[in-house]
Amino acid sequence: MRAFGDSMIWSAFKLSLLVTLVATCVVVLLGTSFAFLLAKRKFRGRELLDAVVTLPLVLPPTVTGYYLIVLLGRRGVIGSFIYERTGWTVTFTWWAAVIAATVMALPLMVKSARAAIESVNPQYEVASYTLGKSELETFFRITLPLASRGVFAGVVLSFARALGEFGATLMLAGNIPGKTQTMPLAIYEAVVAGEGRQAQILALVLTAVSVTAIYLTNKLTGGRTQGM
Amino acid sequence: MLQAYIRKRIGTSRKQPSPEPQARGGNNERESGQAFRLDVEFTAPSGVTILFGPSGSGKTTCLRAVAGIVTPDEGRISLDERLYFDSASGVNLPIQQRRVGFVFQDYVLFPHLTAEQNVAYGIRAGENSEGQSKAAKRERARELLSLLGIEYAARQYPRELSGGESQRVALARALASDPAIVLLDEPLSAVDAKTRARLLVEIRATQRRTGIPFLYVTHNVAEVVEIGDQVIVLNEGRVIEQGSPREITLVREE
Repeated sequence: MRAFGDSMIWSAFKLSLLVTLVATCVVVLLGTSFAFLLAKRKFRGRELLDAVVTLPLVLPPTVTGYYLIVLLGRRGVIGSFIYERTGWTVTFTWWAAVIAATVMALPLMVKSARAAIESVNPQYEVASYTLGKSELETFFRITLPLASRGVFAGVVLSFARALGEFGATLMLAGNIPGKTQTMPLAIYEAVVAGEGRQAQILALVLTAVSVTAIYLTNKLTGGRTQGM
Repeated sequence: MLQAYIRKRIGTSRKQPSPEPQARGGNNERESGQAFRLDVEFTAPSGVTILFGPSGSGKTTCLRAVAGIVTPDEGRISLDERLYFDSASGVNLPIQQRRVGFVFQDYVLFPHLTAEQNVAYGIRAGENSEGQSKAAKRERARELLSLLGIEYAARQYPRELSGGESQRVALARALASDPAIVLLDEPLSAVDAKTRARLLVEIRATQRRTGIPFLYVTHNVAEVVEIGDQVIVLNEGRVIEQGSPREITLVREE
């Protein structure tokens, strides 16, 4: 029984790490792009994009999960399209856990990166333009390096948020040991099953990660940001 | 030769310029809430042309309009054969395509790059699609730094440089972009008097050596006399005098 329990902890840990790493990578790419658009471009639907991206921060995670099912489920808006053509559906797969974690962590990345990008003195960008550099090149070579602390703080927060994802993951990916059972879900199952020791180990691991994340973000954002 | 005709309403609120024309009293400070119109026409031939006037006279706005940082409400700006801006035909060349070297009052060196990297950043990719190699860019950056006498600071970051050194790096960076004109916005107002005198000589020498026209904004009479080939005197958004520094100074002394 105990051996089985330890392997459950181990597989939940590995799965969580992998899901979180993949989700964080997607969040960094998407989040930085959205932050750039929201901070620098005026376009129609800008407010709408901001609202949609931010919504998971305030919605109950199960509601976000519900919307993801409505979108991606076998009979969902996008899901039915994929299912009809490939016979595959994302729900209850490893990818579902990645998608849930991504959607839940994205607002933190966008908020942090946007604030960091907007805090960079626009004079530096103007100087870069006078030197013949395009808006995109200026963003990558001037703005982003000067905003790097805030952007990195967003990465750390997103990582921690993705690692702790529970509600939306349960809705979209289910709770399948070894397949979609991440650490937060394993804790829930361990507690329900009366496996106090497993729950304790998992809880300690997650607490350690969260405390480290808070420490790192405070360290990164506490000092004076360059370029302000 | 730069030819500029610039009209622009300047008010407190950028979003909603007051629709009715305001009476233009003596006070046209931006803080006072009174909008005033910038309405100037001037030419800058080769050499150093000074835009001279008290703060709030609109000279920096002129410079920024030439660079494309601000857009005039109406007017026409051209440099030699190239049309930068023309409200009549709807031409408004983006900053990047104007080939202007801009030297800012507070340097605006990129804080995460060394002096050499700041200058190298300004070097435009060559005509061939490959662009210039890193080594060639570095060499050119060193050349420009030594032209301004600060090759010793190549590896230093802006926070380690004095005001005078920073402004030399900034001028080198502006020259690196192979500009058709160099625009200087009160470049010496943030450095001490001793450095100012030396930098003035260097800026003048640099202009002579490169042959690129300089448009130089200042409110300091000493700078006008020292460096100017031609002076345009602005007040309250209007050109009130135009000529050689000697003529202008004589008029002022009478």
